[in-house]
Amino acid sequence: MATMTLIQAINKALDEEMARDDQVVVFGEDVGKRGGVFLATEGLQQKYGPERVIDTPLSEAAIIGAAVGMAAHGMRPVAEIQFADYVFPGFDQLVSQAAKLRYRSGGQFTAPMVVRMPTGGGVKGGHHHSQSPEAHFAHTGGLKVVVVSTPYDSKGLLKSAVRDDDPVVFMEPKRLYRALKEEVPEDDYLIPIGKAAIRREGGDITLISYGSSMVETLKAAEEMAAAGIQAEVIDLRSVLPWDKETVLNSVARTGRVLMISEAPRMASVASEVTATISEELFDQLLAPPVRVSGFDTPYPYAQDKLYMPTVTRILNAAKRVLDY
Amino acid sequence: MIKDKTAFEPFSLEPIRLLSPEGEWIAPFELDLDEATLKGFYRDMVTARMLDEKFVILIRTGKTSFIAPHAGHEAAHVGIAHAMQRGHDWLFPYYRDMGLMVAMGVPMVEIFGQMLGNAADPAKGRQMPSHPGSKKLNIFTVCSAIASHIPPAAGAAISMKLRRSNQVAVCTFGDGATSEGDWHAGINFAAVQNAPAVFVCENNRYAISVDYAHQTSAHTIADKAHAYGIPGYRVDGLDVLASYYVMHHVIERSRSGAGAALVELEVYRYGPHSSADDDTRYRPKSEVDAARKRDPLVRFRKFLEQRGLWDSAAENKLRTQIAHDLEAALQEAEAAGEAPAEWMFDDVLSRRPWHLEEQRKLVLDELR
Repeated sequence: MATMTLIQAINKALDEEMARDDQVVVFGEDVGKRGGVFLATEGLQQKYGPERVIDTPLSEAAIIGAAVGMAAHGMRPVAEIQFADYVFPGFDQLVSQAAKLRYRSGGQFTAPMVVRMPTGGGVKGGHHHSQSPEAHFAHTGGLKVVVVSTPYDSKGLLKSAVRDDDPVVFMEPKRLYRALKEEVPEDDYLIPIGKAAIRREGGDITLISYGSSMVETLKAAEEMAAAGIQAEVIDLRSVLPWDKETVLNSVARTGRVLMISEAPRMASVASEVTATISEELFDQLLAPPVRVSGFDTPYPYAQDKLYMPTVTRILNAAKRVLDY
Repeated sequence: MIKDKTAFEPFSLEPIRLLSPEGEWIAPFELDLDEATLKGFYRDMVTARMLDEKFVILIRTGKTSFIAPHAGHEAAHVGIAHAMQRGHDWLFPYYRDMGLMVAMGVPMVEIFGQMLGNAADPAKGRQMPSHPGSKKLNIFTVCSAIASHIPPAAGAAISMKLRRSNQVAVCTFGDGATSEGDWHAGINFAAVQNAPAVFVCENNRYAISVDYAHQTSAHTIADKAHAYGIPGYRVDGLDVLASYYVMHHVIERSRSGAGAALVELEVYRYGPHSSADDDTRYRPKSEVDAARKRDPLVRFRKFLEQRGLWDSAAENKLRTQIAHDLEAALQEAEAAGEAPAEWMFDDVLSRRPWHLEEQRKLVLDELR
């Protein structure tokens, strides 16, 4: 079994899906000759030609909107937005067209498409190369939203996204692109959208996270274990729909929960998950659900590392929950 | 096949016109449409006009909540629809295209179902009225967000090219749409890809109340095609034969692999922007009255009469038949009844996830 980085797993998933289905096309800014600014599409144009791996004009609205039309016409487009921060010129296409097409046509037209985008901070990119805008998408009925955290998941989830009959926003934490390596099977496998992963089992507290914050969350869990506290760690993987069953089952056992995400706190995925836990498990909770999040500021360049949930911040919040 | 005699030059100084205001054929080539086709054009134009009048009754009697009058656009609508291979080519319309729906052959009961937002609406009552669509006829369901359908039209056209389907994507919009970013993004991408896309502006000179001079400094909408390296055609959109012949030429040009094009059909909207608009606040009645003298139906009727193809008896018979058909279709649509409450949660995604199941159950319990 090959060892891969997250970006290599993305590339492998695209390659396999293009080989499997000739209606799968990849396009975006710089994805062709250049192979993508992060090299997610490296080698694909050489292999599949410029008709299936298309360098587009510099226009997110054109990229996402064209994906809607291609998908409605029967293709399986995979569009790349160079940075999640640049999705906003194409946001109208995501929320007005992609998300609503099935609904507004009464199921007559559909948009089975994937919009991939590097997300999150930690690469000294300033606020226009570091944001985590998943809550914007999660607030829109008609989209699915995936945020990956491991190479293995990235391949299996991206392949599921390509085959999904709904528009999927597929978010890839850019600081993890080359930070992690793990064994990724060469063969075809799928990870279902909407199913969380239990990364570590424990009975004292549930730590829920997704995307790049999984790194600090797992480190915090290790430190807690060293101190004799067993944390159960859940990786949501999909934030819309998110896996309520896995989350509630765990929290019902531990009675204590901490939700960690680097996205801004206000009206966030973390807010949604913790509010649901409060609603459904209020009488089983031993402490209020607590969020560790990014801040409600634009992402700051100079405080790049400090903006994201640190291990210290997670441990302090965990102490608050455990001592309640 | 495109015939040389009907080849039109882009970027003409004057709008392309084939019928004089008196209904005389003034084209530099022979008319090659048979009697049945010409009468069919007229039947569709009158049906569209009478549908518009029927919509006014619907809004006044409280049966619908929104109308976008299309009277004045009929020649453009009929010209566009008949130039397409209907049911094979794809149409990406906007909300003032009900006359286009008529000419495309959308069943009248579906049109009324959408206007009523009830169980007769093929789109299940999801959108406000005047937002039609039909998968069966390849008519992409209208979206309210202005110009948002233009990049999807470009994408569909790129797909048509890649899949060698021999189809063309025809996309309509008003003059206001040409100011949106999506408009430029979509046309630019289609042009770069040499995709079979025809973009059609039904320029009625008003985006709600904002007149053309406040919309753009461009002399014409057709001129904007220069920026994308595609041909732009300016056409008298009150002339159904000019609308038809130019659209036919441009659509077949795109089908043959020559790429995207922009067509500006100069029309006039006789009614207000919508049922919520008072157009006397921003345009003089004299302007509307002057435009009514150039009515596309009157001009084409004169043309037919001069050729001995039409008279008052035929007119009366046609209008009586259409009035009957419209009323019967409306009654059939009304009889379908309200859209069931649980439809609200269908078609959000291909399958209902847990949170939509929960919300659906909440509503059903409340109604029990």
